[in-house]
Amino acid sequence: MFCFLIAILAVFPGVLALHEFEAGVVDWHKTLVGVPLAHSPSIASVFHRVHDTANTTRSVILTATRSNVLAALNPGDGSVAWRHIFEPEDPVVAFHRQRDTVAALSGPGGATLRSFSALTGSLLLETRLHDPSSGHLSEPIDVGTALALQATESSQPDIIVLTDGHSVRRIDGATSEMKWGWTSADQTSLVIYTKLVATPSTIYLIGLAKSIKSNTLHITSLSAATGEVIEDVSVPSHIADGPGDVIPLTSSSDAVPRLAWFDRGVIRSMLLTPDLKDKPASTKEARYRRIIDIGLGEGHGMFLAIQGDGSSRVFRIDEEGPGVKAIWEFADSAESNRNAESVYSGGLDKDGYPYVARVFWSHVLAKANAHVFVPHLAEGQGLVAGFAFPFDTRTHGIINYVAIDNAHHGGFQVLTRLFLTTTTGAVQLWQKDSLQWTREEGLATIGAVEFVDLPEEKVVHSSKSEVFLERVVRHFKDAKDFPSYLIAFVNRFLTGSYETPSSALPFSANASGLLTRDTFGFRKIIVVATAAGKIYGLDSTSGDIVWSRVLGLGWAGEIGATIHPVKIYVTRTVADGDTPQVVVVTQRRAENTLIDTVLFHVDALTGENARDSSSSGEILQGLDIISGPLVDLFFLPEKKVIVLIDEFLGLHLYPDNGATDEAFAKVASSLYLPLRAGSPGNRRLVGHKVHPNPELHDRYFASPVWTTAFPASEDILSVIRPSNSQPVASLGKVLGNRTTLYKYLNPNLLAVLTASKTASQCSIYVLDSVKGSVVYHASVPGASGVCDVKANLVENWLVYYYYNGEINGPGQTKGHTMVSVEFYEGSKPDDKTGSSDMSSYSNKSINVSVYEQAFLLPYGITALASTSTKFGMTTKDIIVANQNHQVQSIPRRLLDPRRPKRKPTNEEMEEMLIQYDPLLPYEARSILSHNNQVANVQRIVTSPALLESTSLVLVYGLDLFHTRVSPSGTFDVLSENFNKAQLIFTVSGLLAAIIITRPMVRRKRLREKWYQ
Amino acid sequence: MRFWFLTASLLSLLCSVFALDLHGRILWNEVCRGAQELGSAKAILDQGKLQGGVKWDGTFVIHDVHPGTYILSVLAHNYTFDKLRIDVSDSDSLPEVRPYIPGTPLSPPSQIMLPYPILLSARQKNSYFAPRQSFNLLAMFQNPMMMMMVAAGVMMLGAPYLLKNLDPDALADFKEQQAKMTGIQNSIQSGDIKGSISALMDNDDKPRSTGVSTSQSNQTPTKGRGKGKRR
Repeated sequence: MFCFLIAILAVFPGVLALHEFEAGVVDWHKTLVGVPLAHSPSIASVFHRVHDTANTTRSVILTATRSNVLAALNPGDGSVAWRHIFEPEDPVVAFHRQRDTVAALSGPGGATLRSFSALTGSLLLETRLHDPSSGHLSEPIDVGTALALQATESSQPDIIVLTDGHSVRRIDGATSEMKWGWTSADQTSLVIYTKLVATPSTIYLIGLAKSIKSNTLHITSLSAATGEVIEDVSVPSHIADGPGDVIPLTSSSDAVPRLAWFDRGVIRSMLLTPDLKDKPASTKEARYRRIIDIGLGEGHGMFLAIQGDGSSRVFRIDEEGPGVKAIWEFADSAESNRNAESVYSGGLDKDGYPYVARVFWSHVLAKANAHVFVPHLAEGQGLVAGFAFPFDTRTHGIINYVAIDNAHHGGFQVLTRLFLTTTTGAVQLWQKDSLQWTREEGLATIGAVEFVDLPEEKVVHSSKSEVFLERVVRHFKDAKDFPSYLIAFVNRFLTGSYETPSSALPFSANASGLLTRDTFGFRKIIVVATAAGKIYGLDSTSGDIVWSRVLGLGWAGEIGATIHPVKIYVTRTVADGDTPQVVVVTQRRAENTLIDTVLFHVDALTGENARDSSSSGEILQGLDIISGPLVDLFFLPEKKVIVLIDEFLGLHLYPDNGATDEAFAKVASSLYLPLRAGSPGNRRLVGHKVHPNPELHDRYFASPVWTTAFPASEDILSVIRPSNSQPVASLGKVLGNRTTLYKYLNPNLLAVLTASKTASQCSIYVLDSVKGSVVYHASVPGASGVCDVKANLVENWLVYYYYNGEINGPGQTKGHTMVSVEFYEGSKPDDKTGSSDMSSYSNKSINVSVYEQAFLLPYGITALASTSTKFGMTTKDIIVANQNHQVQSIPRRLLDPRRPKRKPTNEEMEEMLIQYDPLLPYEARSILSHNNQVANVQRIVTSPALLESTSLVLVYGLDLFHTRVSPSGTFDVLSENFNKAQLIFTVSGLLAAIIITRPMVRRKRLREKWYQ
Repeated sequence: MRFWFLTASLLSLLCSVFALDLHGRILWNEVCRGAQELGSAKAILDQGKLQGGVKWDGTFVIHDVHPGTYILSVLAHNYTFDKLRIDVSDSDSLPEVRPYIPGTPLSPPSQIMLPYPILLSARQKNSYFAPRQSFNLLAMFQNPMMMMMVAAGVMMLGAPYLLKNLDPDALADFKEQQAKMTGIQNSIQSGDIKGSISALMDNDDKPRSTGVSTSQSNQTPTKGRGKGKRR
């Protein structure tokens, strides 16, 4: 054991660990929350102000997002005050806030109730209301759930919660005990309760009863103290749309609440009294199109109605008269071709006065406009403060939601803060017309990523011959940089402040403002495509956005569409002599369910369209290459050709010109494509060969050659291609006894993950993709019926992870298992078959010996990848992202499948093998993400730097994290620990010794000569 | 109405198979003093399908745990916790809690039983950073290699003065010894092992039997040669 510990310590040398001063210098981290949801008022983002002391208030922006996160943002700088990440099977459906408490419902039908402290996010309460599997699944997901908070004497308010459309509970906010519960007697009836109005004495449940034509209102009143039913009535009504047409209104005074609903063009309303006897009142004319809940119904009794011409009116409870009355009509709010559609929102100020904002894009001014209606000013008559703000619709898309916060500085001075979300996933805060901050939350939905090398900084010489005078002038011009160069040189020489791999890189750009490469090649452009329809170029050293482009929808722009990125390819690199270019392959799903495959070809340094020279400010338009879905795609790196395969197995080339056609014709006969065929749940892997199309000249199609012989019950989940384009530095491994294991380097290897439908079993296969022969196969148990196997294949090394939850006998354990498998040629060492350039049809092609070993991990992992370096000489470590929101590196030596299960012999020690231990240690210093939380990681991408020792690692999912790793230590640069002072001290010590001893020795010599 | 609710919940209880709620608590200690330090944390069973968030007071509840054997772990970003083995049986209304060392077999189970509700405390705070090595003159001289070097240097410088102060007889003795040693070294270097051995033997005051000396001379050459080669 002791030996083992020593061995482990030897494996984790200081080089792997990060120094504190390097944190945040060699890495960067973006904490994201996701694109805010806005489909319903119960989930939409709001400003929330908390009185933290008697006179001061703090506010946060509460937002629930598509990434299933409930978060609070600081309005001052846009930082994340706190966030709670919900599990994928537990979607957040509604949240409600009061004072310092935020209550949130999540899961199907509202299965789980949690409450948080609004400012710190600490979890105050978590309780299960019903089993999620029995929850009512509704569409949209929030129907049938509602929350209300009611202040009590204790520190925490009681939570009244409606779940599943028919259960109501009152829960003590401090102890999470249920005070009472009520379930509708007849659960099979067609009444689904959707809203909840809580007064100190009575709880009103507002439901919709389904009838043939439309819905009718159904209201039940319960006693707030005991939960007993007081009255239960059906209100004759006609509600066409659903819960959005019903708005409960309470006013700030202790007046009786009122319920307003939209009924065939008129707005009707009734008082909510415990006996529910009030007769509904109605507006006079049937002139309205719909009503909008602007979040001011509760406490302020206000809502908004859109009239037939599109103009909007603000309504409020009429405390004198019956029903509700219009108190304001927004001027010029009718539909016109001068303005885009308006977005409405309600908000408060510090004193609790309500404000209503209308935000719209003006085509005429090419600016966004906000009109804020302030009801309490001008002696209760109300007034509107308007301003225009320079929203950049070309980079951020269209505003789709607004929340407001206000401050009233006396008189008619109103200051409004607008929190807005856009269609591209940007989140912005505007204070009147100045932009305070922008968060690119679209980056939480990354679909494809590629690293692009930057060009070197070139000395700008004019190549044309210059006259002597011109050259002298140029030299004089250049000489102005000499003093700074001299200072830098002297400084570098004296202090030893060299550029090291862990020093911060200064921003470098060449004369035309483009990014240039740094000494070690750490600076690259990371091209990122998001599901929010935008592509970004990120600086890999800082994470800053260098450029971004909104992807155009093409013909589908009229009806709306979403763009899903599939893959990014670098079609022109710096080595080709010009600026690098990338092609983003996407699938566009239009609202009418038509799917097209669209390519976007851009310059990686600027984001300019590389297909034609459209202006950079415009939306990027793509090329519809296939009018239909994409089946598979691959890239021929030598020819820089992207080959796309449509559903009819036709091949499409991009770029498609004479040169690429010719290049493709040469390689076409040797192409073998393993494609997934069949419907989801029943997919098979079918190998295809490429043939020229006899009917169409210069066209190719794929025809099936082989099918995998997997059991029929197995469905193919994913195909893992080896992390390609990495050079192999050594063909074999020399063992301690001077024999060699030759790596099995078949270039056509593929890993395939399958799930079996009958038994909860997952399989992993390694195939030769040319003829479909199985090189390796393993079956692993699926954790509770779900196959969650992660795998990585690089060179001859396969690593896969699964959760082993089965105990089949004594001596076994449950655990997160990582299996390391290595393939070597032949059946024993020194067997050489030349797998790297052998034909796949050779008999020897699957003559492979397999070494494998399983290890236990302390935590589950969500993604894994191996590091990649320029020449492939550096050891390949495995980078994993674990459940605990950390990114960890596992040294290759620990994962060596040839680790002996006894004390290593001398020969094995020579190979640096350490004794096998089933448990991979959890070493905090191997955690690359250190203090940062990197949540819900989807994928890890690695890319080589110019330094052979160093690999760049990008981790994405919810958050973005980027760092540099050097698995074998930074052997090619002077270590950061290199002690220049010690060296100088030693050298000067020796110098001093020589100076002292020299005269002594001379004297001695002289004496020897005299006296000998 | 309460009646209705009770019947509904009773019915749902009858329909579902036996399952219990696991209650536990994180005890604050000097490693982790409170919920603010701990941050967002959760307790999970096995791979995380069943889980419960750690609340502000350190308590957590994992709902609907069916009979079986589970491993409970606490996910907290900056702290490491022990893992526990939880056995839920349908006969007993209380689960059995045992310590669990990762990587050890689940059966036979450990004999040690821990109390229920589960009590856990943070084992250690993760330290992600390696301390930076800085230059320290004292530390440099505390290094044994450095000390040996310094000692050797002092010896080298000090030897002449030492010899000067020795009395003439001892000096003569010393010189004789030194001459002998150089003689042996020279003969080893020139490959004359026998000579060197005999020189050594001569040096020895005690008389030796020839048998021993020959056996020695038979063994030593290989060694000596080997050494010589390695040099």
